[in-house]
Amino acid sequence: MTTKTGTNWVGAKYNRKEDHRLLTGKGRYLADLSMPGALHLVFVRSEQAHARIKKIDVSAAKKLPGVVTVLTGEDIKNKIKPMPQPVVQPALVAKYPRHWPLAVGKVKFHGEPIAVVVARDKYVAEDAAELIQAEYDPLPYIGDPEKALADKSNRVHEEWDDNIIFEMTFTGGADDASRAKNDAEVERIFKSADVVVRQRFRTHRCGMTPMETRGALMSWDDSDGLIAHVTTQRPHIDRLALSDILDIPAEKVRVIAPRDQGGGFGVKAPFYREPILVAYLARELKRPIRWVESRQEHLMAVSQERDQIHDIEIAASKDGKLLAMRNRGIADCGDGCEGVYWGFLMPFLGSVELPNAYDWPIGDVKLKVAVTNKSALSPARAFGELPTRFAMERAIDLVAKKCGMEPADFRRKNLVAHLPHTSITGEYFDSGDFLKVWDNLMAQVDLKGFRREQEAARKQGRYLGIGFGLGVELSGVASELLVPMESQPGYGAATVRVDPRAKVIVFEGDAPQGQGHETTVAQAVAGAFGIHPSDIVVTTGDTGTTPFGSGTIGARAGSYFISAAVMACAELKQKISRFMIHDLKIENATQDDFEFADGEIVYKKNSNIRKTFREMVERIIMAPINMPAGESGGLEHTAFFEAAKPMICFNADCAKVEVDIRTGQFKILNWTTSEDVGQIINPQIVEGQMQGAVIQGLSNTLFEQFIYDENGQQLTADFENYKLANAADVPDIKVTHAPTPCPYTPLGSRGIGEGRPSSVPGTITNAVCDALSPFGIEIAELPLRPNQIWQLIQNAKKKAAD
Amino acid sequence: MNKTVKITINGEIFEQSVPIRLLLSDFIREVAGLTGTHISCTYEGVCGACTVQLDGAAVKSCLMLATQADGHEVTTVEGLAKDGKLSPLQQAFNDHHALQCGFCTPGILMNMDEFLKKHPNPSDDEIRTGLIGNLCRCTGYAHIVDAVRDAAKRTR
Repeated sequence: MTTKTGTNWVGAKYNRKEDHRLLTGKGRYLADLSMPGALHLVFVRSEQAHARIKKIDVSAAKKLPGVVTVLTGEDIKNKIKPMPQPVVQPALVAKYPRHWPLAVGKVKFHGEPIAVVVARDKYVAEDAAELIQAEYDPLPYIGDPEKALADKSNRVHEEWDDNIIFEMTFTGGADDASRAKNDAEVERIFKSADVVVRQRFRTHRCGMTPMETRGALMSWDDSDGLIAHVTTQRPHIDRLALSDILDIPAEKVRVIAPRDQGGGFGVKAPFYREPILVAYLARELKRPIRWVESRQEHLMAVSQERDQIHDIEIAASKDGKLLAMRNRGIADCGDGCEGVYWGFLMPFLGSVELPNAYDWPIGDVKLKVAVTNKSALSPARAFGELPTRFAMERAIDLVAKKCGMEPADFRRKNLVAHLPHTSITGEYFDSGDFLKVWDNLMAQVDLKGFRREQEAARKQGRYLGIGFGLGVELSGVASELLVPMESQPGYGAATVRVDPRAKVIVFEGDAPQGQGHETTVAQAVAGAFGIHPSDIVVTTGDTGTTPFGSGTIGARAGSYFISAAVMACAELKQKISRFMIHDLKIENATQDDFEFADGEIVYKKNSNIRKTFREMVERIIMAPINMPAGESGGLEHTAFFEAAKPMICFNADCAKVEVDIRTGQFKILNWTTSEDVGQIINPQIVEGQMQGAVIQGLSNTLFEQFIYDENGQQLTADFENYKLANAADVPDIKVTHAPTPCPYTPLGSRGIGEGRPSSVPGTITNAVCDALSPFGIEIAELPLRPNQIWQLIQNAKKKAAD
Repeated sequence: MNKTVKITINGEIFEQSVPIRLLLSDFIREVAGLTGTHISCTYEGVCGACTVQLDGAAVKSCLMLATQADGHEVTTVEGLAKDGKLSPLQQAFNDHHALQCGFCTPGILMNMDEFLKKHPNPSDDEIRTGLIGNLCRCTGYAHIVDAVRDAAKRTR
């Protein structure tokens, strides 16, 4: 561990500040918070996927001693404004389904809340929930997105005239005429191209369920209003939404994300219906209300993502140059009733990111999103793009093979070679060096040697394979994208407050869930002021004390939040420097002539002129007399950071596998990555993000799957049936770096981690297909399971025998 | 229906009348107020976040009733550090960045603390197999394996 105080904290391995409390059981997660007299709230959820509610009998539940109140949709529909509300509605043209926190009239998926019980004891609340009897008139289950798109008679939302929530063309300009011209040109290229590949790819429904479920603990006071502790990635947005929906003046809503949250990965980013009801009841009953979601509820109602189909076509020249791409995407977004995201924003962004880092001359990319009787898609790390990356990375391998090229060589030939670059779907890539990252990966992987090894192994009946994948990912989400996409600003904000004892408090309006912000921002601030990271404390996620932020999303911390903190430090350093010039009567000095290091402020042109950081800050805060002209006392600054254009990071993966063709089982022999995360702030935290992201990608690809039966019953609402990867299931990952500092952030850092799982499913499936190339097996559907592989081997053998 | 139980947690005796259906995990969190023991899979026994030691053996406290622990000694994550000093296992977790959100960590520590007593010189495969009963969503497990291996070395 580096212990030296200095300006080199950025880039140093420094043990996390968060860990001590978390290792000793002193973390404070939502379920660990308490308020005197808090009541327990339990939701009753629909047992049917699509049905009219005939009657909900709550009489027995109400009579149970200890029960305070029971409500159904009928009780609240005239008292709570329905969603959507503008604050959680994107600026994209779409249908936004009207809904209340509890089902009104009919239920639209298995797991939709239909009633709520509030009791003094949580065991009694559960007892009462079991006494509630709902009677339904079943309606036809709408479960297949393609059929749903075509079906106008059976509708999830009866006030609509079809089941299409969103459709969009991403290529060819803004008007119909230019798009028609573009699409005709794409068609012309396909007709004349040497090589054309067409394939349908399907990615199953799975997501990023965090270890801590959702929850809320809220209290009401007639003069102070609502205090809402909520598991959330975006407390400032939740505050505005609760204020608007419940007609509480915004100054009387304070949302506090717990200091410790047990993971989020996007799942805690939406504005969900459940907290609305907790807030409503806290106000109605004037008693604190606590809701802690069960795992079963969680897996039924949220954390489901992916679920996209892509019919992709690629045209290439014989010598392996990409000429054009056409894609028709379909997504199954469930009922779409979910604030901020509405189930369709993930597939939307997935289509934007479909071109990946390849240099496409032209393309025709369209998407349709259907509503069905399933839980609304909720965001998951590798937001919307895990399915499009799977489709693209697999399709690239198919094209390469058809051109007779190594897929690795084909990739390199078609990578965007010069940045900045704007993709055919309009995504802006600001900076970096894709070829450098790729070449670094290839330097780790002896491809020619592997091919020899593979050939020798095949002679012994062993099937080895190598697979590649890559991904260009968002480094923060610029306003340019976030304002239309989520009606929210993209800037990062940080308040830096220096205290008279030379300690620094950083206030962050976003709400981390394990990313280590307390440590990385402390390193950045320590570096700026030349003090020690242990002298810095960080407050996050409390709307009562922190500057406005749109939330911990899209790898915003390393790009936007920390950049804002560094800007605030720079502002304060200049002020301190002006006081130095004044107090020490330094002639001809400017505010940039001072170095902050080792707890001292040194005049660069004469290092004998110095003061300690502590004496200067104490002087400015506590003794604001005899000051430079126009100055005031105090040392606190809030800065907002946003780059002029969106920013990216980039990564590439290589996996080697061995497939046992008798069983279809395969073993990952090794996994190597190459990353451009720009200037690293803490290498250990970066490594942890990468390890975790790749394993999440593998867990999605190999194990996790939400399954609905033919009646829309969700069969996978527990960890027995919805399997996450465990330690024995997965390999160690070798993470390597080929960084190019980002020129648009003050430290050169890039936000990393969010999109990182997306290249994993293509990489591993490419490796398995490479191993099975003697059988001509090309897998186009996830999950990737031994039984599926075994079946494909049997089919191939049968075909060969026929 | 209630029953009076006497459970020693981290050396402190809790004698209390509790409903017989009260889970041990709820006794630890709500009666004893030790919230380091976490609930993630909600009483399925799959995730391992609620793992504690009962008379030194790692058990999932959501799969036991408080009454079943009557007369027994429970150690929770709060009982690992002595006199404010992290145990070698806890310190190794910090040094190797073996936790991110930290929600699964207490259960992993309680399981691995027992594991290392039985396997003072474990292979990576043994560590990974020993971790099957604990789910972690953030780390991808590699740093946890590094930490456990290093803790074994420090303890030997």
